Amino acid sequence: MSTPLAGIRACLEGAIPAVLATCGADGVPNVAYISQVFHVDERHVALSFQFFNKTRQNILSNPRATALLLDPRTAAFWRLHIRYLRTESEGPVFESMKAQLAGIASHSGMEGVFRLLGSDIYEVEKLEQVPGDPLPAPPQPAGRLAALRSLSEKLARCNALDEALNAVMAVLSDAMDMRHAMVLMLDQPAQRLYTVASTGYAVSGVGSEIRVGQGVIGVAARERTPVRISHMTNAALYSQAMRSSFERESPDIAPVTEIPYPGLAEPHSQLAVPILSTGRLLGVVFVESPQDLRFSYEDEDALVIVAGHLGAAIDLLQTGAESAEGEAAAPSRNDPAPPPGAGLQLRHYPANDSVFLDGEYLIKGVAGAILWKLARDHVQQGRTEFSNRELRLDPSLGLPDISDNLEARLLLLQRRLQEHGPHLRIEKTGRGRFRLVVGRPLRLEQP
Amino acid sequence: MDAPVRLPADLLAMIARGVSCIVGSRDEALRPSIMRAVGSQVTADGAGITVYLSRSQSRQLLQDIASTAHLAVVFSEPASHRTVQLKSRTASIRAATEADRPALDRYLASMEHEIGRVGYPVHMARAMLAYRLDDLVALTFTPELAFDQTPGPRAGRALESRS
Repeated sequence: MSTPLAGIRACLEGAIPAVLATCGADGVPNVAYISQVFHVDERHVALSFQFFNKTRQNILSNPRATALLLDPRTAAFWRLHIRYLRTESEGPVFESMKAQLAGIASHSGMEGVFRLLGSDIYEVEKLEQVPGDPLPAPPQPAGRLAALRSLSEKLARCNALDEALNAVMAVLSDAMDMRHAMVLMLDQPAQRLYTVASTGYAVSGVGSEIRVGQGVIGVAARERTPVRISHMTNAALYSQAMRSSFERESPDIAPVTEIPYPGLAEPHSQLAVPILSTGRLLGVVFVESPQDLRFSYEDEDALVIVAGHLGAAIDLLQTGAESAEGEAAAPSRNDPAPPPGAGLQLRHYPANDSVFLDGEYLIKGVAGAILWKLARDHVQQGRTEFSNRELRLDPSLGLPDISDNLEARLLLLQRRLQEHGPHLRIEKTGRGRFRLVVGRPLRLEQP
Repeated sequence: MDAPVRLPADLLAMIARGVSCIVGSRDEALRPSIMRAVGSQVTADGAGITVYLSRSQSRQLLQDIASTAHLAVVFSEPASHRTVQLKSRTASIRAATEADRPALDRYLASMEHEIGRVGYPVHMARAMLAYRLDDLVALTFTPELAFDQTPGPRAGRALESRS
């Protein structure tokens, strides 16, 4: 192929439907509109299979097909000469297409009519540029590469997870003009993603959770594939809005008020990209916009690079922190002078390790268990200095396993405490070490 | 040859107004060919439909129609997705002339309106439908079969009313 398939991805946005010619075994040609022609790789596209129709019958008996594509920016025509291989009804390609189709359906008023039954995978035999009189292509967003370079440099200088996340948020928001963004980390045993950083929202939403598989973010995590919606749907399937879910199975669990998900109330474009490293899912980078068609394939490319760099940085920082933990003997300092002032009530519910500060929900899960351990050690032994290593070795915390990102859990706890108030803080004191800063005497309670 | 199909009045009116028009055929090896028409017109009774194609954009398609006579033509209204597919084996091909200009101009004006309804500017329609008259052929055919192809449960249903 002289023109790479990637060069015509603008035609594959579903903005203008493609048209497909097929031919039955009886020799009768057929022409039909196709909602989606999806870029799979340099040699393959996937077409949406939505109806049992003539096209379907034809490709099953005669796999040759020709698609006519139109560039929605320039009105240039392309013909794709393709050969049907197989139909996929699960997996990354299917899920990406399903999410995208929901957006297309919503945009074109075809909700309830457009439903993805399968992704028909075709081999591209030839890409043919049709002569014509197209408009000039619009300029590419300037400075993408420079923005990625700047991120790469910033990440290379980072010493800690919070610095890495701040660098990503700054580059997305400023250099790449993606004003609403968040990073979520995977809680593997719970199969949930928790927000550790965000930008462009009224509330940070740090600590808010999304189930793996739920909405654009959850599907990107489950399928380990980017999910991009250019016309946001009001289809409940992809709505990221969180129900507040009370965990009432256990009688001793206090009604945990979920930390509200920070996302836009009416997003029109969304893009979620999995953060992977050494084959493991670490989390998701997510951006959204109140405009239609805000994120292009090029934006997806850029975000995949961002997620790749971030994933590598997270892994390296964790490895670095762990080796530093070995050196840092846990100093168990006694602090003879407890702080003055009224007590700060810290209530812990063991069933889900939720912690309330002065009656206000703070955190649950592993981060909640960590805070409870720190507070207990502080009250019982006067300790303020701690190390990641002792947390990792403490069986009472029930850390999921060695691959779990303790740094991310600590960062989540640190940020939640920061948002709650000035009286209880966590400060890093070095690699793999931190201090519990107690401004008011702690009063520990368990139901 | 099948008897000509009588198109329902509403679909005939849609075609007459000027909506998106895509033409397909296939070669001897059953490889499909396809291109968008840059214009169309239809006789009052629907029995004679003419679509305009640029030779430079439709070489394989025109060759296939000439050699196999098989023709599939889809008309679709972008804003509503209302779509009809016509099939025929009766096409005749001639070069377009100045006499075809008024039909081509009417079609372009209609398409500017149609794709404007789905959010595209006038210059998009003009670029998409750009042609040189000396590059244009007029393909006239009588529809023998017609299928409702509006997306949904009735898609693919043959329109029965034959004359």
